Amino acid sequence: MTVAAIPTIALDGLLRSMADDEFVIGFSDSEWTGIAPILEEDVAMSSLAQDELGHATALFGLLGELLGEDPNAIAYDRQPEHYRHCRLLDHARGDWAMTIARRYLYDSADAVRLDALAGGSWAPLSDLVAKLIREERYHLMHVGVWLNRLAHHDGEARTRLLVALRELRPDAATVFTPLPHEDTLIEAGILEAPMSELERRWRETIGPVFADLDLPMPPAATELDRGRLDHREAFRWLWGEFTSVRRSEPGATW
Amino acid sequence: MPAAAELEAWEVFRQEKDGDPMRHGGSVMAPDAELATHYARELFGRRQESVRLWVVRRGDILDLADPDLLQPPLDRSYKKPGGYVMRDKLAAAREISGGSKPRARSSRRTTST
Repeated sequence: MTVAAIPTIALDGLLRSMADDEFVIGFSDSEWTGIAPILEEDVAMSSLAQDELGHATALFGLLGELLGEDPNAIAYDRQPEHYRHCRLLDHARGDWAMTIARRYLYDSADAVRLDALAGGSWAPLSDLVAKLIREERYHLMHVGVWLNRLAHHDGEARTRLLVALRELRPDAATVFTPLPHEDTLIEAGILEAPMSELERRWRETIGPVFADLDLPMPPAATELDRGRLDHREAFRWLWGEFTSVRRSEPGATW
Repeated sequence: MPAAAELEAWEVFRQEKDGDPMRHGGSVMAPDAELATHYARELFGRRQESVRLWVVRRGDILDLADPDLLQPPLDRSYKKPGGYVMRDKLAAAREISGGSKPRARSSRRTTST
């Protein structure tokens, strides 16, 4: 299917939400570089963060091609309120349990979203998604190991995990914020099912894991239509960090 | 599960491409086999530099460093090929067979079949 056959605005909404999600979680997790619990985990988490930035690069590349814009400008030159990542990724880095809880909630949701895009009719995206799925599989394995460890160790580890989940749970479902023009994407065969259905599938996937670990399931999102808007102060701070170099010399070629 | 897992050393062997021998890459510290595998992947495979990894708990390796077994005190030079000069014998053998160098001989065999 050619791009011309699909309203650009529908694809824009989809690509922007995915690219911003990957971009923001990549930068958030890169904050562990140099200070992760042990050296090996430092390398692992930094590598995961780099993977996410690589995914964002590919998705911003598709979006740039679609809009005829510079992908770097899309990634770095927007004001914080114009980013469309989900509010789950709006929390400050916090401690290690916070990072693991956030990453598990996001990666498990992202996996369901990617599955719903893998057989899509727009080859540039479905081809990319097939590659992303292969990398995200490892991410989910890695964060799953950690979720298990923290949940199983009674005492400080489990307590911190529960505190992190308490903060994140209300925002967990925002990954599945309905996209603008979602119906168009489904009619065009790009997206297999609406976000509400993907959320149901996600709950089905993580339900047994949370039950097994005796962790509270995330509730339904309260303001689902605003799940990718109204970014918090923690994101404004992160935005200031990740745009600081580019803003230091506007227009420079790096 | 224990309250706090102790880190231990795991040795990592890597294969660069199919058919290559497994070579020692280095080691990682990890509390269990699962994380050891993950860390091996990150430290020795994240740049696509390996097609296979072996991860071995250092404590499971049979360590042999006994000098009586490996560095015995008496002269062992007679077990080494150093004193045995092959050059003249090889030249004579080539003279008889009409060949020149082993490489040339094998290439002739390839073209004749």
